[in-house]
Amino acid sequence: MTAAPALRELQCGFAEAVLGRGGDATRWVTGAGLAPAARLQVYANTIAGTQIDTLRGTYPAVLALVGAEFFEAAAARYRLLHPSTRGNLQGFGGAFADFLAALPEASALTYLPDVARLEWLRQEAALAADAAPLDPTAPAVLDDDEPVRLMLHPSLRLLASAHPVLTIWRYATAPAGGHLQLDGRGEQVVLWRDGGDVALAATDAASHACIAALASGHDLDAAQADALAADADFDLAACLRSLIAQGLVVGFTQTGERTT
Amino acid sequence: MHDASTLATRPIPAAAGIGLRAPHLQRVLAERPRAPWFEMHSENFFGAGGAMLAALERVRSDYPLSLHGVGLSLGSADALDGEHLATLRALVRRYQPGLVSDHICWGAIGGIHLNDLLPLPFTTEALDLMVSRVQQVQDTLGREFLVENVSSYLTFRHAEMTEWEFVAELVRRAGCGLLLDVNNVYVNSVNHGFDAHAYLRAMPVAAVREIHLAGFTRKTDLAVPLLIDSHSRPVDAEVWALYAEALDRFGPVPTLIEWDQHLPELEVLLAEASRAEALIDDRRARAA
Repeated sequence: MTAAPALRELQCGFAEAVLGRGGDATRWVTGAGLAPAARLQVYANTIAGTQIDTLRGTYPAVLALVGAEFFEAAAARYRLLHPSTRGNLQGFGGAFADFLAALPEASALTYLPDVARLEWLRQEAALAADAAPLDPTAPAVLDDDEPVRLMLHPSLRLLASAHPVLTIWRYATAPAGGHLQLDGRGEQVVLWRDGGDVALAATDAASHACIAALASGHDLDAAQADALAADADFDLAACLRSLIAQGLVVGFTQTGERTT
Repeated sequence: MHDASTLATRPIPAAAGIGLRAPHLQRVLAERPRAPWFEMHSENFFGAGGAMLAALERVRSDYPLSLHGVGLSLGSADALDGEHLATLRALVRRYQPGLVSDHICWGAIGGIHLNDLLPLPFTTEALDLMVSRVQQVQDTLGREFLVENVSSYLTFRHAEMTEWEFVAELVRRAGCGLLLDVNNVYVNSVNHGFDAHAYLRAMPVAAVREIHLAGFTRKTDLAVPLLIDSHSRPVDAEVWALYAEALDRFGPVPTLIEWDQHLPELEVLLAEASRAEALIDDRRARAA
C-alpha cells in the first residue's frame, strides 16, 4: 500500500512522468484493466502533441525547410529542454531559434536559426499592442534646439541577418514550386502589423540602423549618425517619410514631453 | 472601437451556440450566420492587440459571447498565475462576456505548464484548493465564474470521493456556476465504469449555467477501450441521449457544440447546434 501523496507531490510526480523524467507516478494510478503507465502515456502523448503543434504553427518556414520528421524530433526535444511556462501557448517557443543554433544535426543549415528568429518576431508583431499612427498633417510645434525622439508602432520588429533570411522565408512559405536563388548576402528585415497581417520587408543597412536607433529611444540626430556610419549617402527624410507612410510613427517627444 | 463603458453584458440565451475557432472567424464576420451565441477561447485573445482582438470586437458587437479558458490551471498546487488572471480580468472587463469559464483540472506545477486539462485526485485537499481558487477568480473578476468537468483517462487510488461528489461540492462551496460537459460525463462513465445517470442526478440543478457537447474518439489499441475527448467528430448518439436527459433535469440551458480537431465547414457545426436547439425547443414546448 502506497501512502497517499499530497497534491504537490502527486502533480510533481505526474509532470515528471509525462515529461519522461522518470519518477514513479504509476503507483498512484488506478489500473482498471490497463497498465497505469499506459494511462499516463495517453496524457504524455496529448501534451507533447499540443506543444509540438504549437511550434508547427509558429514556425512554418522552419518546418518546410527541415521537413516534418526532423521538425517533430527537434520540437519534441525543445519542449523538454525549454518547458512551457505559461497557460497561454502564445508565449511558448521563444527560445526555439537559439535551440536550433545549438542543435548539431542542424548545424549545416546555418541560416535556420535566423529564419526561426524571423518567425518568432512575426508572432510578436501579430500580438503586439495597437496604436494609432501619427497624423502627418497635424500641426506640430518643434523647438529646433531640442532633440526629437520618435515613438514607433508597438508591432515594429527588426532583424539583421548575415543570411538572406527574408528571401529564404518567402521561398519556404510559398505554396509550391518556388525557386530559390541566393547571392549569399545578408538581409535586414523590418516587420510590422499591416491590417490583419504581418508585413515583412527587406531594407538597406543604413535604414535598418536608423530604425533600430529610433526604436531603442535614440533621438533623430543619433539615429541619423548611426545610419550615416553604414552609408554616407543615407537620406533621413526619405526613411522617415517611409515610416510615416506605413503608419509606423505613432508619436514623438521633445524634452521628455510626449506628444501624439 | 467601442468604449468599454458602452458595452452592456449580453446574456447567453438558452439556445445552442457553437465554439468559434480561428478558421471560421472570417466567414462569420463576413456572412453573419444565424447563431444564437458564440464561445471563444480566452487565451486566444491574450495578445496586447492585433487581428484576433479586432475580430473579437466585431463578434462581440453582433453576438452574445462566452469566454472559455483552458489555461488557468485552477487545481494546481502552484499559486494561480497572477499575470494570466490579470489578463483575463482585463479581457472580461473590456468585452463583458455573458459567461466566463475554465476547467476543474490542473495544468502546471513548479512553474512548468503542461498545457493540458489534467485530472485532479478527488480528495478533500484538492477540493479545498479548488474552492479557494474559484473564489479567488470570482473575487478578481467581480462576477460569477463557471467551472467545467473534464474528460479523464485515469483516476487516482487515493480518491476520497467520486467525481460527481467532488464537482457538486466544489460548485456548492465556491458558489460558482457549473458548465456541465455531457460528453465528458459520458466519456468518463465509459473510461472509469460509472453510471452517467447517477452523475447527472448528483449535479446541483440551480447551478447549471451551460452545457457542452462534443465528439469523442475511441482508442482501441489498448487492453481496454478508452474514449478520448478529441472534439474531432459529431456528437455521439449516446451523448445525445444523455443530453436529452440533462435537459429534462436542468431545463433549457445554453448549450455549446465544441469542435477543435479536424474542424469541418461551419455548416456542420451549425447543423449540430440545430439538433441541440430542437431538443431545447421540445423541452420548452413541453414546459409551456
